[in-house]
Amino acid sequence: MKKLHTAVLTAIAAAAVLAGCGSSPSGESPASGGKTYTIGIGQFADHGSLDNCREGFLSGLAEEGFVEGENLTVLYDNAQTNSSTATQINTNFAARKVDLICGIATPMAQSAYGVGKKNNIPVIYTAVTDPVAAELANADGTPAGQITGTSDMLPVQQQLEMIRAILPDAKTIGILYTTSEVNSASTIAQYKLLAPDYGFTIVESAISSSADVSLAADALVSKVDCITNLTDNTVVASLPIILDKANARNIPVFGSEIEQVKIGCLAAMGLDYTELGKQTGRMAAKILKGEAQASELNYETVKEASFYANTKAAENLGISLPEDLTASAKEIFTDITAD
Amino acid sequence: MIILLGVLEEGLVYAIMALGVYITYKILDFPDLSVDGTFPMGAAFTATLILSGVNPVLTLPLSFLLGALAGCVTGLIHVKLKVRDLLSGIIVMTALYSINMRLAGGRANLPIFSKETIFTNSRLTSSLPAEMAPYTVVLILFIIVAVCKILLDLYLKTRSGYLLRAAGDNDTLVTSLAKDKGLVKILGLAIANGFAALAGCVYCQQKEVFEITVGSGTIVIGLANVIIGTQLFKNIPLIKPTTAVIIGSIIYKACVSFAISHGLNASDLNLIIATLFLIILVCSNYVNGNSGKRGKGHAQAAKH
Repeated sequence: MKKLHTAVLTAIAAAAVLAGCGSSPSGESPASGGKTYTIGIGQFADHGSLDNCREGFLSGLAEEGFVEGENLTVLYDNAQTNSSTATQINTNFAARKVDLICGIATPMAQSAYGVGKKNNIPVIYTAVTDPVAAELANADGTPAGQITGTSDMLPVQQQLEMIRAILPDAKTIGILYTTSEVNSASTIAQYKLLAPDYGFTIVESAISSSADVSLAADALVSKVDCITNLTDNTVVASLPIILDKANARNIPVFGSEIEQVKIGCLAAMGLDYTELGKQTGRMAAKILKGEAQASELNYETVKEASFYANTKAAENLGISLPEDLTASAKEIFTDITAD
Repeated sequence: MIILLGVLEEGLVYAIMALGVYITYKILDFPDLSVDGTFPMGAAFTATLILSGVNPVLTLPLSFLLGALAGCVTGLIHVKLKVRDLLSGIIVMTALYSINMRLAGGRANLPIFSKETIFTNSRLTSSLPAEMAPYTVVLILFIIVAVCKILLDLYLKTRSGYLLRAAGDNDTLVTSLAKDKGLVKILGLAIANGFAALAGCVYCQQKEVFEITVGSGTIVIGLANVIIGTQLFKNIPLIKPTTAVIIGSIIYKACVSFAISHGLNASDLNLIIATLFLIILVCSNYVNGNSGKRGKGHAQAAKH
């Protein structure tokens, strides 16, 4: 009996190892036909904005003639915020001999770069806030290697301008962020740099997990005139709690993208992640077509920020939104949707 | 081939950490959660050292020492302040999150892509033939793991090593030899966490980036590696437990890789790991029950 168990377990393990190396490229080799391509998309977390990025990426590719199911095979996996899984996902892409790896969010992009370097696979990234700090790009914007993509650095200046326009008397802006999210640190640095130009002081409050959000929000709303959000994953996931606390004290909360305004933030000068994804998809198409090497393309950012507002939130706060802003709005919500 | 190399790379890195968990879990019977903090500590420390120009090879012993220091803290909290084993590990693990952020200069993500690491050492890579290039990482890892394993095996044969083993099995014996069993435990925890930090150091250099989240779940991986390895090979006397742990580590990563390459969602991975874990534990208990031997794994499971 004892031997049987050991034998069975060993067999399972052996099968796992064998199957692991047996699964060689399933798609047709792009070199032979010259018409079909395989790409691997690795996403770091399950998150509305990142999902939008991915969908945008695929439609950007489709615009350029790379259509999933026709001449494009797409392998997709999500690391569920585990860096070790991220590497294994990218290794799997490399083993399937993909023509390009797309890494969504910083840790995924870094991992893809590490794997891509070793296997000569170009990497494209999106939703990386600070490619320079992540060492994916050099200080002058040129790529660090066979890697390029798009940054989702928030349009901080436009956001501050908008807050000033909506709240002419506000002095302090509160920002809640998670210490483990490197993107937040870069954006806060931007806020601190630019806030004095608009007569604001930034009050930051750091949390280490979603369990701290409630207490931190309590402390923050008592100190500030308004709150602005980053794209901080942990904070965004707990946004309803923050909105609750802020609304109780009649403190406006500004968002950083469309989804946040939909669920009750007053307004946002934000990014459209689908657009960002499309832009990335078009860059990827250039690389797949052979028009440019990844190492020749500087990383890009979204040039235009879009204005989103929620009139229901404005009504609740007793704030009227300036007309020149609402006139140029990309989308106005008249209701607060609970996700 | 790439998958196999990937599995070996990941498996060997985690094998270093698993050697440490083998000491705490199997030898000392101490569920030490501090490795969740010491693994990323090794990584954070290494990234900072390398960025400040320290020789990559030197980061290996330095990380080990720092991890050992953290292990001592866990041991001191447990032995001197009489805090329960599980809790002392949790306390240190929690504190290390903040310390790791400090070590990395307040950054949650510290890339070292542009720096030389033990894997990209130009002298070494140029001295190897070009066709060896894809295997360099595995080769270097293999050497590090082998050195760790041999040193640990040798240590366990010394007087101090015997005391360590006795402290887990029968601590009255340690006391009767007029030795302080507390000190022995602290030493064991120091070595274990030294290995965890060393694994973090190697991991960071291989990935060329430090990520604060890298430590979460380290102990689960470590326990899985140790249990898979020791249970699979316990009836094969030729294979030492330390070797078994290393093989267990590779098998574990092979299973994860298998799951990923067969289209399983990463979100389902934990469930698969838990199931694998349970199957092996249950099987080994069953085997132990049949042969009437005392199952250490079983005793452990019942206790916690």
